[in-house]
Amino acid sequence: MADKLGLCFFPAFDWAISPTHPEREERLLYTRDQLFEEGVMDLPGIKEYRPGVASYKDIARVHFCLPDVASQVTEAHLIAAGGAITLAEAWRRGEVERAFALVRPPGHHAMRVVHGNRGFCNINNEAIMVEYLRQKYGIRRVAIVDTDVHHGDGTQDIYWHDPDVLFISFHQDGRTLYPGTGFANELGGPLALARTINIPLPPGTTDEGLHYVIDNLVLPILADFAPELVVNSAGQDNHYTDPLANMRVSAQGYARLNEKLAPDIAVLEGGYAIETALPYVNLAIVLAMAGRDYSRVVEPDYDPARLTLSPEKMDYIKRLTAQLREIWEHRDRLDWERIYSGKDFYQRSKSIYYDTSNIHEEQVEKLRLCPDCHGYLTIETTAFHSRGRRVRAYCITVPFLGCENCRQRAYDDFQAAIKKGLYDFVLIQDRVEDRYYTHNCHTGKTEEIT
Amino acid sequence: MLIGIDVGGTFTDAVAVKNGRVLAWYKSKTSPEDLLGSLLSALDGVLRETGGERPERVTFSTTLVTNLIVEKKYEPAALILIPGPGLNPDDYPFGEGVWVVEGAIDYRGREIVPLNREQVRQAALQAREAGYRKIAVVGKFSQRNNAHENQALEIITSVYPEAEIFLGHEVSGQLNFPRRAATTRYTAATASRVRDFCRAVQAALRERKIDAPAFVLKADGSSLPLEIVEKWPLETVYSGPAASALGVLAMTPPGETTVVIDIGGTTTDLALILSGFPLLSSRGAVVEGINTSVRSLAVRSLPLGGDSPLLLREGRVELGQQRQGPARAAGGPVPTLTDALNVLGLARYGDVEASRTALEDLARLSGQEGGEDLARQAVEQAVATVKRGVDEMFLAWEQEPAYRVWEVMQPRRERPRNVAGVGGGSLGMAEAVAQALGCRPLTVPYAPVANAVGAAVARPTVTVTLRLDTERGIFSVLEEGYQGTLSRSGRFGEEDALNLAREWLERRRQRLGVDDAGEEEITEKEVFNVVRGWVTTGRIYQITLQSGRGILTWVIGGEVNG
Repeated sequence: MADKLGLCFFPAFDWAISPTHPEREERLLYTRDQLFEEGVMDLPGIKEYRPGVASYKDIARVHFCLPDVASQVTEAHLIAAGGAITLAEAWRRGEVERAFALVRPPGHHAMRVVHGNRGFCNINNEAIMVEYLRQKYGIRRVAIVDTDVHHGDGTQDIYWHDPDVLFISFHQDGRTLYPGTGFANELGGPLALARTINIPLPPGTTDEGLHYVIDNLVLPILADFAPELVVNSAGQDNHYTDPLANMRVSAQGYARLNEKLAPDIAVLEGGYAIETALPYVNLAIVLAMAGRDYSRVVEPDYDPARLTLSPEKMDYIKRLTAQLREIWEHRDRLDWERIYSGKDFYQRSKSIYYDTSNIHEEQVEKLRLCPDCHGYLTIETTAFHSRGRRVRAYCITVPFLGCENCRQRAYDDFQAAIKKGLYDFVLIQDRVEDRYYTHNCHTGKTEEIT
Repeated sequence: MLIGIDVGGTFTDAVAVKNGRVLAWYKSKTSPEDLLGSLLSALDGVLRETGGERPERVTFSTTLVTNLIVEKKYEPAALILIPGPGLNPDDYPFGEGVWVVEGAIDYRGREIVPLNREQVRQAALQAREAGYRKIAVVGKFSQRNNAHENQALEIITSVYPEAEIFLGHEVSGQLNFPRRAATTRYTAATASRVRDFCRAVQAALRERKIDAPAFVLKADGSSLPLEIVEKWPLETVYSGPAASALGVLAMTPPGETTVVIDIGGTTTDLALILSGFPLLSSRGAVVEGINTSVRSLAVRSLPLGGDSPLLLREGRVELGQQRQGPARAAGGPVPTLTDALNVLGLARYGDVEASRTALEDLARLSGQEGGEDLARQAVEQAVATVKRGVDEMFLAWEQEPAYRVWEVMQPRRERPRNVAGVGGGSLGMAEAVAQALGCRPLTVPYAPVANAVGAAVARPTVTVTLRLDTERGIFSVLEEGYQGTLSRSGRFGEEDALNLAREWLERRRQRLGVDDAGEEEITEKEVFNVVRGWVTTGRIYQITLQSGRGILTWVIGGEVNG
């Protein structure tokens, strides 16, 4: 019989961005103390896993790392992503019904192109895990619900054009918090409209407000979408004591959220109230996912009377929920063929800022509007590092289940871009054949990432 | 001269070891109703043959506590829990006689809810009413702050002075509240019986004019001075496999990786010695299906033994799991694995001719000539089962969780070099298993009394775990149950913390009267910054120092005919 819950606990007690950075060694220390003192790993139905180590190929399947994978990841990153993959395997093999990767460093701000660290993230653990499962087992329909207080802009970027991956993020309104995106009108690319759903919540949103959104928006959408896999991108910084955000969710609120969402796999994201929130929230989530009584997991200073939501904010949340619900219900009536009629490509431009690494990036993204598959995508990227260093690259991705025509054209593009002489690097992700190449235009060498 | 005595389930063995040689050994049947008598007659037996030489040390391994628990001969203890926020205490498998009271300490040892004194008082009165004479009190995070447990002790003593009370922080310093609770309760339940036993042994030693220090072997292969065993009686549970692993360790080349196979009548116990260190279980000893905080060797028990019957199924032989009696070689009703080993010349146990006849009869039943084919099938099956067990043990060890980058990046990969059989039935099998694993079969010189040899040469160990919070200015020494404040102010660095730990290790060594402690090793060291408002305001250190586990002397040569 399968265990109820697989756990991979990787606190990386020997890794930090810097000694006083929020993403530092003892972030999960008190969580460790609480989980171990409770004897959680001894509970029947809970199975603990040692994290594996992700390969560079696992990362290249998702990301275009510049100048290469090695310069963007440390061993800790490979283990955090590897831990998620270990649990995905255990889930897929039926050893566990659900799984929670309590790993760090986090990943949901890492986009498809990676020039450096943004929002404490270099590589996207959830996307790496999802693409691993899709490639290895042919899983197609996936829902990722981002429950971190910050907009999951990295995951959104990676799945923007993918109609098979539903990405739902609720977060504190981008006008008041990093990364400043995730507004309700960000709905995904032309072939994947409403497969990205953003729910910007007002600062101060409580358990009540959050659960209104879950009950009336997130759960109905998930039921309609009927994914094969539900992933919780599980940030815990909506907590009322988090030092980097302004929400008012409790450990009980988080536990109920996971009970309702019933994710197959949860992967830890942010959460920086390492003493006042994480020990309690993590324990509550673990118990909820394992189907155990979590009602006694309560923060020492928890006072529901102090955590109330104003009627104005509640009204706002209700209106937002109704609007998004309507958009979801009309998702398939949008006639993109008429909107983009006659065009072969859809194009958009983006500016991206890497707060940790202080890099400014400009991107031009082009998607082939293909009648037979999700279309291949090209990204022209220029990164402006400090001290005037500039990196230009051309990146091509052939989608999972892409058609032969797109694949051929993508390789033609790859050769053409190399000849152009404009770029430092030209990269291609062939996700049909699961092969990934980088061409270094200075050395003239093409290398396969394995 | 070192004396080792192993009071096992069937036999009690004693050996005297000097200068790496077994001077004398003695083997007798254990009488389960009189463990003390068994122990002393073995002691006397071996002393008779050593001609008045003075023992330097006497070490016992005894099934006393294991038997008390397995046969439920202990006096049940009441359990008062102070769980605070977290899991529902009903989810813990503690059964009856449990009282839950309010009060909470957090992970840094801060009181977050005061102890409800009235509830403690009521619990004590009700426990008395229910007839409990022993009470275990265990709080969550009591190893970080023992105030609530101490307050409870005071309250219970005032309303129920006759009660014998045991506190969780004095029993275990590990992070694991349910294991600590189970361990404290078993400690309460067995302490007085163990105290009586240990005092009787001390008296008997005095009577024999033996003034050498006496120790009792623990489940992890280290040992406790006899005088203090009553404080941690559960630590002596399952010391049998630890004794045999140490016995093998004493008789194999240093630093090698060895599989230890102990084949009994119905079960086979596997243990691993990895690069010269007996492998510990990551989960602690499991007693009556409940996890405890007792460190023990990783032992895998397989449902396979010398008495496993050979069953015929479609012309082939299968090993049954239900014992039907001893081997035909010992006058049993059906042929067993032992008979098969006899037929193949891998063992010479009892009436070998009877084994041969039994296998031939079995062969005829399935329309075959001669019994050797069937014997080979049976042994091959047994070997495959053992091999699978060994592979699983290595796999489990490789997959033990790791919490640091360097641990994950150093994948554990080790393969055994030796296979050593201990216990009567193992010798022939060890050879066959060694072949299947591509290992060297080790002839353990004193195999039939390996456990007693292991007890004799076990190195006494001392451990201290120091937890220090410089921001709060407090520290605790888990094994000593000591909680104090830092006397000096100013920066307290890693070296200072290590020195404080060393100081306490030395203090504990002296207090326990351990002279032969091995070189100290740092088995755990964690350093964390405490940051407030982006500034480091303190450090948390957790350091575990241990004097080396292992053996005092190698033992070479010699034969014992069990």
